[in-house]
Amino acid sequence: MIQVSELHFSTEDGVKVLEDMHLHVEQGELLYLVGPAASGKSLLLGLLAAQTPPQRGQILVHGRNVVRLGPEKVLELRRRIGFLTQGYLPLPRTVHDNVVFKLRALGDYQEQAEEKAMLALETTGLLRQQQLDAQELSSIDRIRLGITIALCHDPLLLLLDEPFEGLTEEEVEEIGNLLHRLHNGHLTMIVATRGPLPRIAHEARRVELVDGGVRTR
Amino acid sequence: MNTFMFLFRELLGAIRAKSAAYFALAGLLLFLFLAVVSSFFLLTPVEGTSPEAEEPIEEIHAFLSATLSSATIDARYLEFRERPEVADIQFRFAQELDPSATGGVFVIVPVSNEAAAILISELELQSGVTEVVEVAQEVTAEEAEFSLVVRIGLLCGLVFTIAGSFVLVRLGYRELLGVFSGEVRMLRLSGIAARSISVLIVCFGLLIGILAGVLHFVVIYLVHQIVVSQPDPWRILEAAAGGWRTVGLGLIGLALGSILGGLMGLLGASLLHAREFDPLP
Repeated sequence: MIQVSELHFSTEDGVKVLEDMHLHVEQGELLYLVGPAASGKSLLLGLLAAQTPPQRGQILVHGRNVVRLGPEKVLELRRRIGFLTQGYLPLPRTVHDNVVFKLRALGDYQEQAEEKAMLALETTGLLRQQQLDAQELSSIDRIRLGITIALCHDPLLLLLDEPFEGLTEEEVEEIGNLLHRLHNGHLTMIVATRGPLPRIAHEARRVELVDGGVRTR
Repeated sequence: MNTFMFLFRELLGAIRAKSAAYFALAGLLLFLFLAVVSSFFLLTPVEGTSPEAEEPIEEIHAFLSATLSSATIDARYLEFRERPEVADIQFRFAQELDPSATGGVFVIVPVSNEAAAILISELELQSGVTEVVEVAQEVTAEEAEFSLVVRIGLLCGLVFTIAGSFVLVRLGYRELLGVFSGEVRMLRLSGIAARSISVLIVCFGLLIGILAGVLHFVVIYLVHQIVVSQPDPWRILEAAAGGWRTVGLGLIGLALGSILGGLMGLLGASLLHAREFDPLP
């Protein structure tokens, strides 16, 4: 469960990006966070993932108050979250090795990492491309790889920032269907996008980020 | 293989030709820095202040009575010239050395200080020898100047090599981290502590320092071997004949190389604060 209350965030120049923002996301919920460019979607995801230091307000992620976490607890929380960043670029190695790198870095042994990587690649439909150079993948496969890496370590929360960016309409639908399949009613997911939304997104809750706060659509 | 070793191997794998060249040159300059430091202890100064270096051989001034005939002086001159303890002998008028003195003086350069002691005891027993004086050889102005030039050169070398190695290692790290930036961003995003990533970078610097220290140890040992195997080693390298001195300098070089390598690593790790390593765009 995620609970955001009275969240404020201003840039160094004093521009208020988030102002008295409240948001509640249930455990296992798939939420679409919609809003125009520079509305604070990426910032909110960064705050939820404990990547951006908060300024004012409360952010509870799975019972932990992000605002008050010590450095070690912050790292622990980050390890429980899968994050696809906006404009994701894979590492210059094969698709398979991209996934294995993250798992090895998180402490898995080679065999264990290989096993988990194969499972994750199969889930996202990238098994056949596993030996390809990740930087030569098509846009949709690149997004698929980003999603694979985000979920390969079995996170409690999956945050996806602009997963439909640069995709054709058909590809948006394909990624939308993949996300709904991965969610499957138990993985908490927040998808931040300025559009377009896949048709299947109507089955999930959508909130709009406007003027520093959220509005349910 | 644990996580640290895996990530360290990945970091090494990100080294490309350009960064490798920078790191190799930085390591070489660090080695030269250590070599210059050692040369301060190994090159025997002209003044002979080194405790293990032999004292400079002294001259013996044997003042002769004015009553000695020239034939006697000639005979004694020839007699001393043939002796194995004598490297050189000259006859001078005593007034050349002391205006108040009369008669002549033998200026004898013995082959060694031991030979000098033998010659002095014999000369003191000879009739017609009024006084025997031991005189330390003076350092000539040219020698002293040469020594000063060498020292200034070594000091300049110290500054140049250490500054050069730090500049080159920074360039190398910029190249390396440029290639490894994607991995750094992913590690940070995945919850790996910034400290753990810095440790990798510092360890790489430490590795360069240790390699430079080991190379220095090997070279200093080879110099020692060459010096001890020579029947008549160059006087300037006489101090390298000391086994303990060589080992001590080698170990000091290793420690100094490790410390400087660690500092180079810290310099590299400081580059991680740049915005390009932030996990979020």
